[in-house]
Amino acid sequence: MTSSSWAIDLTHVEKVYKGKVHALRGIEMRVHAGEVFGLLGPNGAGKSTLVKILMTVIRATRADGTMLGRPIGDKATLARVGYLPEHHRFPEYLTGGQVLDFFGALSGVPRAERRKRSDELLDLVGMTNWRNHRVKGYSKGMRQRIGIAQALMSDPDLVILDEPTDGVDPVGRRDIRGMVSRLRERGKTVFLNSHLLSELEMVCDRVAILVQGRVASQGTVDDLTRFRQFYEIEVVPTPSGPAADLLRACLPADAAATLSPVGGGRTALRGQLTASTWIELDCATLRVGTQDPATVAPLIDRVRASGLTLRALRPVRPSLEDLFMEAVTDPTTGRTKLPGAESAEARP
Amino acid sequence: MTQTLALLLDAYRELSAKKLFWLVLMLSGLVVGVFALLGITPEGVQLAVWNIGDFGGFVNSDNIPPAMFYKAMFSGLGIKFWLTWIASILALVSTASLIPDFIAGGAIELSLSKPISRLRLFLTKYFSGLLFVALQVTIFSAASFLVIGLRGGEWLPGVFLAIPVVVIFFSYLYSFCALVGLITRSTIAALLLTLLFWVFLFCLNITDQTLIQGRELNAMRSEAIAKQIERMEKSADDQLRRDLITEKVSMGEPREQAEAEAREATFTPEQREQANPKLADAREDLNKTRDNAPSWARAAQAARIAKTFFPKTTETTDLLERVLVQDMNLDTADEEPDNNVPSWMRLSRADQQKLAQRIQAAFRQRSVWWVLGTSLGFEALVLGIASWVFVKRDF
Repeated sequence: MTSSSWAIDLTHVEKVYKGKVHALRGIEMRVHAGEVFGLLGPNGAGKSTLVKILMTVIRATRADGTMLGRPIGDKATLARVGYLPEHHRFPEYLTGGQVLDFFGALSGVPRAERRKRSDELLDLVGMTNWRNHRVKGYSKGMRQRIGIAQALMSDPDLVILDEPTDGVDPVGRRDIRGMVSRLRERGKTVFLNSHLLSELEMVCDRVAILVQGRVASQGTVDDLTRFRQFYEIEVVPTPSGPAADLLRACLPADAAATLSPVGGGRTALRGQLTASTWIELDCATLRVGTQDPATVAPLIDRVRASGLTLRALRPVRPSLEDLFMEAVTDPTTGRTKLPGAESAEARP
Repeated sequence: MTQTLALLLDAYRELSAKKLFWLVLMLSGLVVGVFALLGITPEGVQLAVWNIGDFGGFVNSDNIPPAMFYKAMFSGLGIKFWLTWIASILALVSTASLIPDFIAGGAIELSLSKPISRLRLFLTKYFSGLLFVALQVTIFSAASFLVIGLRGGEWLPGVFLAIPVVVIFFSYLYSFCALVGLITRSTIAALLLTLLFWVFLFCLNITDQTLIQGRELNAMRSEAIAKQIERMEKSADDQLRRDLITEKVSMGEPREQAEAEAREATFTPEQREQANPKLADAREDLNKTRDNAPSWARAAQAARIAKTFFPKTTETTDLLERVLVQDMNLDTADEEPDNNVPSWMRLSRADQQKLAQRIQAAFRQRSVWWVLGTSLGFEALVLGIASWVFVKRDF
């Protein structure tokens, strides 16, 4: 893939605040032109810092990479980028129409085009009737709609939306998802920063998970989940004893011997069926970390032979939330990694 | 250009959305209304149809032509009192929030993410903040131009000089306010520290004025004592000559010859002091005032040097007076100058007038370039620091 096909191509982005807090630790991330890309991460992971660096609101300690083919920090490029900040605050003395006109003008859009586009965008976000009302009287959702319209005033090639559905009701969320999809159909690149994983899962082509200033994983949701697919075998609990013990007895002896508590407040046991296949025993459910049905078949036979009644057998693909939780969970302690970036002194 | 116009239009919208903007405009209208109702007649000053006096017989149309009266009112009250004090304080209250609001979280991200350089963004925002005063003073000057023309009978385009003068004056304070607002992000801190800075400038100016007054009064005393000594010496010489003639005549010399010799005679200071014992005290006073002169001059010079580094608010607004009322005759008082040595504690009216003229002359010796150049230099420095902070800061 050539560099011109990347809307955002970051090879090393680093930010240290006042020499103490290491907010970003060498971000490497690529966003294809024309895709919807989602950036996830817990609070303090550095998502907003990264977006602000892209939009020149914050100066990076180091920023190697390009946005729309130009170096990060190039002001002229911003004419082709639309941005909706999180917790944005429009001047309250302006009406919705004036907000679009003012920020369109700051983006360098000529007057005639501003008029035309503001009519179209107000219609798109369903705010035409509120055009001449002051922002002061708008609800949170209405401000968010005007904010999205404002981000689109310059007909940008790249749209960066930071928590666009924050404060928006379900109908509004669906409308915003529709808008994002239409932007993708028109060949625009959309970069979404959101806490609502289900929202992202519905619209994003690719995602990146940011944890403590680093990209923990990135790719399509399908790619990221394919290798984490597993089978779930659920049996009907029997009066003859705890189902977990009966299920355990169905496992090969060497596999059963590897089971140990997963920790983190959960009662489940985790072990290895083979060197490359994990198993997890949780009450009446046995999970087997494989995509291959042939690996599961002998276990089914053993369960049936033991007299247990099979309630369900299903292949399970983890959700984005599962991926997210996996990324933000410390594998050694089983606990969620602390919010916020580590201090520079604590850096390895 | 599209971006600059957008920022200016936004600044106008922001200011016009403030109630204070319209309140100041209404008060300006009221001041101009009162200005229009004032008139000067041979009997004194009139407010509409009521005569409010001639202020000691000086303020009447015989002494002050109507055009001069209106010019002095415009400069002295309209500009120096209303626009540079009351309206400026209200303008500061209105505009102190512009920069803190501009850089507030959620607002600044929207502006910084646009294709406009930070420096241009900040400077345009700063200059758009001066719009408040520019609009107010333009309307006030236009109304005053009409009043002076219609009531005073003289059409003075010079009154429009008030626009740049008052805007420049306000910009000294506003630059400081913008810097404090940028650093502290607080409107209250910006306003209070700017007012404090203004008080400091006022005190610096009062110190300078007081020291110049002291220096000039000391010089006036010195000149007056020298003249007094001259008069006393002449009087002592006359007395000594009379004594000499009497002595020679008593010794049998003809009177004509004695008078001729007395005319030719010269006397030593000691002889004069014997003839007039007060002469010694006067000479001592003269020496004291002359000894004090270098101290006053040094102190006045130090104040002037200190002022060089700061904005000169009073002298900037005085520039307008220099242009508008430079031909105003201040020597038209009825009272003749007396021959007394001016006292430190109590000055005669003639001495007060003379002292005022000397102080005014001392201030007017300071060039327009010194007044504006050094003040704008300070403003440029403050704006430079503020711009640097704005360009470098992470928001």
